[in-house]
Amino acid sequence: MPWELKSDRPIYSQLIEQIELKIFSSVYPLGSKLPSVRDMAQEAAVNPNTMQRALAKLEEDGLIITHRTSGRTVTEDAGMVQKAKTQLAREQITEFLEKMQLIGFEQDEIITIFNNMVKEMGK
Amino acid sequence: MLSKLLKYEIKATGRVFLPLFLALLAFAGITRLIALIGQQQWDTPVAISLLIYGFIMVAMFVMTFVTMIQRFYRNLLADEGYLMHTLPVKPWQHIVAKLLISMFWIVVSGIVAFISILILALERGDLRDIVASVAPFLRRVLDQFGNWTYLFSLEMLIGSFLTLASGILLIYASMAIGHLFRKHRMLASFGAFIGLNTLSQILFGILIKIPKIAPFAGMPMNADEFQAQLPIIQEYVIYGIALSVLFCTIYFAVTQYILSKRLNLE
Amino acid sequence: MSVILECNGLTKTFGSKTALSDINLKIELGQIVGLLGPNGSGKSTLIKLANKLLTPTRGNILIGGQEPGIETKKIVSYLPERTYLNDWMRVHQIIELFTDFYQDFKPEKAYDMLKNLNINADDRLKTMSKGTKEKVQLILVMSREAELYFLDEPIGGVDPAARDYILKTIISNYNEKATVIISTHLIADIENILDSVVFINQGQIVLTSTVDEIRDEKGKSVDDLFREVFKC
Repeated sequence: MPWELKSDRPIYSQLIEQIELKIFSSVYPLGSKLPSVRDMAQEAAVNPNTMQRALAKLEEDGLIITHRTSGRTVTEDAGMVQKAKTQLAREQITEFLEKMQLIGFEQDEIITIFNNMVKEMGK
Repeated sequence: MLSKLLKYEIKATGRVFLPLFLALLAFAGITRLIALIGQQQWDTPVAISLLIYGFIMVAMFVMTFVTMIQRFYRNLLADEGYLMHTLPVKPWQHIVAKLLISMFWIVVSGIVAFISILILALERGDLRDIVASVAPFLRRVLDQFGNWTYLFSLEMLIGSFLTLASGILLIYASMAIGHLFRKHRMLASFGAFIGLNTLSQILFGILIKIPKIAPFAGMPMNADEFQAQLPIIQEYVIYGIALSVLFCTIYFAVTQYILSKRLNLE
Repeated sequence: MSVILECNGLTKTFGSKTALSDINLKIELGQIVGLLGPNGSGKSTLIKLANKLLTPTRGNILIGGQEPGIETKKIVSYLPERTYLNDWMRVHQIIELFTDFYQDFKPEKAYDMLKNLNINADDRLKTMSKGTKEKVQLILVMSREAELYFLDEPIGGVDPAARDYILKTIISNYNEKATVIISTHLIADIENILDSVVFINQGQIVLTSTVDEIRDEKGKSVDDLFREVFKC
């Protein structure tokens, strides 16, 4: 999964999102060891300080654990990951709903269109 | 650091001089050989070889001059200056390194030229003849000057080196002054050269007139009077050396000041 | 964190022309900083002052607390915009020169990078294209373990693949005990690797900020902001 960084949003927030996605999609599986900050920064072509701060935030949120001698690993706590996933889903949905309301849809309209689309996509 | 600069400087300049030296000696040898083994009809080849030899000789001396200027300008005042002046080296070390190596090549060129002439023209008994004619002259000198001979010789040597050094430093200083100008740097350098030279002559003229030295009354008429006046000659010589040192110092100081405080690479 | 570069009221004039006017700046170790500004803004003047290629007219500039001199030259690695190597040398000879004069120079690193970029150490600089010469110069600068690096247009004349390699090298070279200051026009390419930027125009500092602050507060990239600030 290549790193996709947009130029008009802070790199820091984008890195957090992208690393989370990599954890959710098992690019960095549960319990696995993460590459060094420098390697990750190189891969993403970003400043190591920024990568460091992003990882620090993820550690704060409990998704990453730093071991004093052996570097960083993804948490083994599936529940933690699930919580973060759900949180992300909620954020995306909130954004979506707000936008829909802005466009002028009512709640049941939204749900109808949504269900139809899910069915279409399922085929 | 200075020794490293010297090493690097020799490498950079050796590439120019060594081939010239070899070529000079080679053509001296070739000319000599052709002249030796050939008869009448070999005259033309000999002449050609001699001509080439002559060209190389001129080229060699021109190169010592050109290289001296080029090295200083290119390496310290042009693009390469970005490398040189960011090395952890003081400007005076750069100047000294270039000065010493320039002097080195000039002296070596002279020696090589002399050797090539020997190769070219030395005949069987020549060395004996030369020694034979020089010996009485040397004896007479020793008689006149006594122990002073060695001192004077040493002083002549030192004096020559100092004169050479001051000449080179004069050129460096001129180039450094030229560097101060944004436009017409070449012109400014020439102007500085003439200006510095003139100022030096004036300064020299003034200093000479200072009655520190007892006026030297007349030429030595005979051996006795001459012996007595040797210490005075000695004072003159020392004075001359001191002046050379003075000029070297002035030119050096000017160059060093400009390189450290007024550098402005494009 | 310690300050590696400091400018206090730094001013440089050439005759009647003012190249830098009252510059006040503090940059700490462990940073990658972009020095951004249009041509003639004073970027090169500032960098030359830091390298003692120029002397201040007023004010001062300090590297690691010291005025530019031999001691600072030992810890500063500078990549100028121009080709400053002598043509007649072979690459390995210039590596020997750097090894000789700089205690912090690591020849193994240099040879490694040369290999990665397919440059033959036996070639004479004279025979190389301008782009290759620039790569060699960059390799030399990055092979030093200096405390302060000045890169003046490091990616300007090279192809995109080499550009990526160079940026990756800058990142991998990063350590908390060194700072890299990059002066360039190609902002979009390097913005992601910068901690912060300094906008300079007509000899004065116009803006200092971290990259993310700009993106956060102004909702645009540094490149976009630059175009806005320096609109012709």
